Amino acid sequence: MKRGLLAWIPGTVLLALLAGCGRSQPQVAGGEPALRLLSEPQYRAVVADLFGEHISVGGTFDPLVRTNGLLTVGAAAAHITPAGIEQYDRMARSIAAQVLSAENRDIYVPCQPKLAATADDACAQQFFTSVGRMLYRRKLDADEVRRPLELAAAAANQFGDFYAGLETGLGSMLVSPTFLFIADRAEPDPENNGRLRLDGYSRASRLSFFLWGSAPDDLLLTAAENGELFKAGGIKRQVDRMLASPQLVAGLRSFFNDMLAFEDMDRLEKDSIIYPVFSSAVAQDAREQTLRTLTHLLIDEHGDYRDLFTTRKTFMSGPLGRIYRVSVERPDGGWMPYEFPEGDPRAGLITQVSFAALYAHPGRSSPTLRGRALRELLLCQKIPDPPGDVDFSLFNDPNAPSRTARQRLSVHATQKSCAGCHKLTDPIGLALERIDGAGQLRTTERDMTIDSSGDLDGVKFTDAAGLGLAMRNNPAAPGCVVNRLYSYAVARVPARGDRPFLVHLAENFAAADYRVPTLLRDIATSDAIFAVAPPRLRTAAAGAPEEMKR
Amino acid sequence: MITGSTRYRFSSSRSVTRIAALALMAGVCLAAVPGSAPKSRTLGFVITIRNIAMNESRFVDECPEGFNVGYDEIWWRGLSKVDRARLTSNGLKVRLDRYFNAIRRGPNGEDVCMNPTVVKDPPLLLAESKESYGMNLDGTANGEPTPKSCKHQKFVGVDGTAGVDNQLYRLLACVYGFRSYGQYEANENENRKSNGNGMTLIEITDVDDTRNDADVKVTFYRSIDQYTLDAGGKFVPFASYRIDAPNGQPRYRSSLKGRIKNGVLTTAAGDVNLPFYGNYTYMNQLLRDMRLRLEIAPDLATAKGMQAGYYDLDQLMFYIGGLGPISSTAISDCPAIHVAAHEIADGYPDPKTGACTSISSAFNFSAVAAFVVHPDASQTASNGQGRLDRIVAFIRGLL
Amino acid sequence: MTFLIPRPINRRSVLRGMLGSSTVGVALPFLDCFLNENGTAMAATGAPIPVRFGTWYWGLGHTPGHAIKPKAQTSAGIDFLQECAPLQPLVPYLNHYSGFNMPLDGRSNYTHFTGWVASRTGSAPSSNSEIPAPTLDLLIGDAISGNTRFRTLDVTSVGIARENYSARSTNNRAAAEASPERLYARVFGAEFADPNKADFKVDPKLMVRRSVLSAVGEQRQALNKTLGASDRARLDEYFTSIRQLENQLDLQMQKPQPNLACHMPPRPVRDGAEQNMPMGLEVETVVNNHRMMSQILAMAVACNQTRIFNMVFSDNFSHMRRPGQTYTHHLLTHEETPDKVTGYQPVAFWFNCRTMQAFAEYIKTFAAIREGDGSLLDNVLIFAATETNYARVHSIDGVPAYTVGRAGGRIKTGMHVVGNGDPITRVGLTAMRAMGLSPEKWGTQSLQTSKPISEVLV
Repeated sequence: MKRGLLAWIPGTVLLALLAGCGRSQPQVAGGEPALRLLSEPQYRAVVADLFGEHISVGGTFDPLVRTNGLLTVGAAAAHITPAGIEQYDRMARSIAAQVLSAENRDIYVPCQPKLAATADDACAQQFFTSVGRMLYRRKLDADEVRRPLELAAAAANQFGDFYAGLETGLGSMLVSPTFLFIADRAEPDPENNGRLRLDGYSRASRLSFFLWGSAPDDLLLTAAENGELFKAGGIKRQVDRMLASPQLVAGLRSFFNDMLAFEDMDRLEKDSIIYPVFSSAVAQDAREQTLRTLTHLLIDEHGDYRDLFTTRKTFMSGPLGRIYRVSVERPDGGWMPYEFPEGDPRAGLITQVSFAALYAHPGRSSPTLRGRALRELLLCQKIPDPPGDVDFSLFNDPNAPSRTARQRLSVHATQKSCAGCHKLTDPIGLALERIDGAGQLRTTERDMTIDSSGDLDGVKFTDAAGLGLAMRNNPAAPGCVVNRLYSYAVARVPARGDRPFLVHLAENFAAADYRVPTLLRDIATSDAIFAVAPPRLRTAAAGAPEEMKR
Repeated sequence: MITGSTRYRFSSSRSVTRIAALALMAGVCLAAVPGSAPKSRTLGFVITIRNIAMNESRFVDECPEGFNVGYDEIWWRGLSKVDRARLTSNGLKVRLDRYFNAIRRGPNGEDVCMNPTVVKDPPLLLAESKESYGMNLDGTANGEPTPKSCKHQKFVGVDGTAGVDNQLYRLLACVYGFRSYGQYEANENENRKSNGNGMTLIEITDVDDTRNDADVKVTFYRSIDQYTLDAGGKFVPFASYRIDAPNGQPRYRSSLKGRIKNGVLTTAAGDVNLPFYGNYTYMNQLLRDMRLRLEIAPDLATAKGMQAGYYDLDQLMFYIGGLGPISSTAISDCPAIHVAAHEIADGYPDPKTGACTSISSAFNFSAVAAFVVHPDASQTASNGQGRLDRIVAFIRGLL
Repeated sequence: MTFLIPRPINRRSVLRGMLGSSTVGVALPFLDCFLNENGTAMAATGAPIPVRFGTWYWGLGHTPGHAIKPKAQTSAGIDFLQECAPLQPLVPYLNHYSGFNMPLDGRSNYTHFTGWVASRTGSAPSSNSEIPAPTLDLLIGDAISGNTRFRTLDVTSVGIARENYSARSTNNRAAAEASPERLYARVFGAEFADPNKADFKVDPKLMVRRSVLSAVGEQRQALNKTLGASDRARLDEYFTSIRQLENQLDLQMQKPQPNLACHMPPRPVRDGAEQNMPMGLEVETVVNNHRMMSQILAMAVACNQTRIFNMVFSDNFSHMRRPGQTYTHHLLTHEETPDKVTGYQPVAFWFNCRTMQAFAEYIKTFAAIREGDGSLLDNVLIFAATETNYARVHSIDGVPAYTVGRAGGRIKTGMHVVGNGDPITRVGLTAMRAMGLSPEKWGTQSLQTSKPISEVLV
């Protein structure tokens, strides 16, 4: 190992060499400057961070296209439709009205107007420059201050209310493209003639949306203003601070919410006759449980990412206790740490209710959906869509009704067009069959004992815990999170040119015993996260998703 | 502060619960699980629907003279036509509205439910059936007096068992309100379901084998958590319920020795205090010499049972006296019940007077599996230090 | 195609207007309807009645052999079978299209996706998420919906906002309105100006909002120049959307013309049980939402709040389910054992029948609104389609489609049109022609066509 070889070198020399190592990381060309639409979770996080959780956002967001497994990457290609603008406008007005309501305004407005019934440019300017800097994630230019000021003055005089003016101005900022889009700003790189570099503010936003899932805070913007984000030391200082911040938990939750496609948990619905114990409270807590498990292992315990597939430690709430059939300390609310006993069928994320219930039908389990989700979400392997011309008559043989899912799915093996994909999904999905469509344990299906054995890429197992272990030891699992985190950070699909850097990241990840904060630091302090290529001035074939163009 | 290493600390009682949870999953073979050899486990249940064990025939043959009249009827019969007009706004007050007039028909306007001896009402019609639910509480075959019981008539059990004692059935079978279609029992169950008062938890500990175990311990607690219901309003099994234990001391904690045979738990007799709520009355229900019989479903998710014991008369009359305005719709008469109850009471004679102070009774109930959460686990405050202190104190208290 | 061209508006003049008087609005023509020659006039005002375009979507097609009696050639009259029986009395309002194909030129049939994309965009997708061209409704909307309060109204009764089969491209797709209550609030809430009310006063707040939007529009120049062409196109789209919203406000600042067809629809009401599960895929919840939303949508059309309206009854994978059944509609189509006598999958068939009942209800809702001398259906065209002919095997050839309404007299109804293997895009092209657009051809590769269905065009 490099570190071993370097161990004898005196400290100062070592530092110099390590700095050299930093530069020797594989270079990437970068993507063109990105124009990322704030995703729904980002929008909500920004509003909550700036104004507090008590400000309600409401609204419906235009759907994003999951790209490279992430909606956040899809946001870099998303348009705003007329209906979408209508929603943003509604949300902007509602948020502005709440922020400047009589009970809240004193929290946010740093000054008192001379007269409450008329415009006061001086006070309004203070408000717009401070709030605007946080919303636009950079210092406002003269026009950007002037516009809300003019609107505020006109509205204040129209309605005879200074705060109605501020509300109008703030509303205009919240519907502005500068707020709704995270727009990269590139500038000529003074150190590399003819090349571009991201400006300091764009760097701040990259770091912040990557590590915190939200907009930069005041310190990060100040660092950008002072040019610190062009220096390795300055970047390191900020990244250290961000990794140590409690906001990191929110950031990691945001990432895994996206990677695990948890946005569908919001509308997860189960048949109340078949699964009477499942409720929206269960769905909500199931998602929370998985996110808590993740951040606890990865951040609080500084654990090995791969252990997510085998960990018995989790958290339990009242509604979940009923599904898991375990005792909870506070049935009336709240969370408690919980550890499944040795030998329990539950171990690892994929045996949790969130995964089991999300990848199932409203009234039954689905080994195929689960197997596909395991491959696609957690191993980053693409399973092709089913062919359009399958003969389903074998499924419908009235003389041989199938009783278990394994029996039903065995039909796939007899169909050439099905077997290829189903042999990727079914053997792993069937290992989870002892967890029903609502996430409850069972041992039989239609009075037949469920066989939960299977294999993952040649590794055989007999139950869900065995599958978890096989997932843990599958090299694709850590590789996948490296790919997704990098893609999430740079908001684009990694291209061929990113490969050496991804390999470099994966090697460092392994060398660091798969500690995610180390991986986050590696990405956040890399040149790659800020790399930017000249923009393409002509459009590629419109409409095709990023993956298609490559 | 709880450090990382103590975060997953659980008291010994909780590990037991977790292993029980594991065992509860039908078909999971504990022996096959490494590191969790079958030790004694715990089963828990919460009582859901509970009724006075009433053997009701389709044509009410047990009440050949019909149902008893209610106090409103008695009051009405005793009024002159002039008084009827005067006391009911010339006939405009309907039955519920004239409750306060009807109930205060003592010679000096006393409430006859609170003072059941101030009037002499027609005697209560008692059940004349030969069969009843219940158990043999006094140990005799024919109801002869013993030091712990007064002379009384026996029933034959509904299942054919001889020597069944259930004077409560005899007392109330012909009072409309207490029957299955009357108001009281339905109200009682509905009240408990909606407000969570009077919920009984049954914890069975020292279980080595859930189907056959000669020696288990059964403890009754009160829950402070309301029922967990599913979307259809049904009771959800395997929810967690904290026991009522202010300052760590359970308010209810009566225990009985028991045995399980072919999935049926029966217990020895013992005095048991049970939480009780129904029809706006909250009280302690003392059943002396109580025995429990509990049929546990093979999947351990549900159970059906019977509690039989001597119901303290004062408590019974406190409850019946407090039934309030719904009495008029449920049709009963406190003074008549009071007199009859004392006449047929068959348990625990007063050493001075020889009159019995308790009445043999039986209750049928249903239950669903529950996790019974003890105070060491339930009193997790947000302050980690406090929790640790309490755990330590609790464990020390056990030693 | 006339894409909405942003017009420069002087913000200061708007501000001045705002400061001056609350009754000064921004003058704009009321309706620049293109159907002056053929459209009939509104009874009260003599203003021409606009023609509007809508779509209705259902998932999982028909049960072959049990929906429509096949015909050898195009002719008047449609013989519906059991599955479509509720449509029989409605034949005078609609056309049925059968025997049209979807040639994919070697591309995969992405199940339940390719079908709707091809029939609505005229192009087959190259992936399971690609929307290669704008959908029909938007093409028509670009031409006809410049001056309405809403550019389109996209609605779904399955409770999932992303189930909207109207999109300009893969990454340019609006969320559908998935709640009847929110749809009502959006269209008929406080911002709705009842055209038949005598008094009309401009809410000064509208003018303030208008000035906010024009201030936002000014930022066009300020945005960074280092963006690539496709991102600049996305920003253009943003500003176009802002302009649309400005138009919407401009319209709200004018007194609407009296409109006898327009009445406030009933506010959505649910009974106790439904309040607990207002959204969801349980089939009766979907049907109930669909009923409430249809009433709001039809009245939004009658009140000229939009010219383009899209309704998704069930999603393309129809996740609809019946309480207590482990199989969803989609799973049933693949895994239910067909009945030996009838040959169809009985429960899947039941879902299809329930769907056609809902379709009939939708048509009746529009038919029931009086407009001019006839019904609203005289002045709309609704393109109803699905993504598969027979869901059990995902076949896309022979995919069924309908048009409902007479498009201001441009379309004959009561016809059963037989495609004889022609591309399904002929139906879409016909719809465009009926709506007054005159594209030479539509679609790409083998889906391209230049032949509208002359038998139904007047």
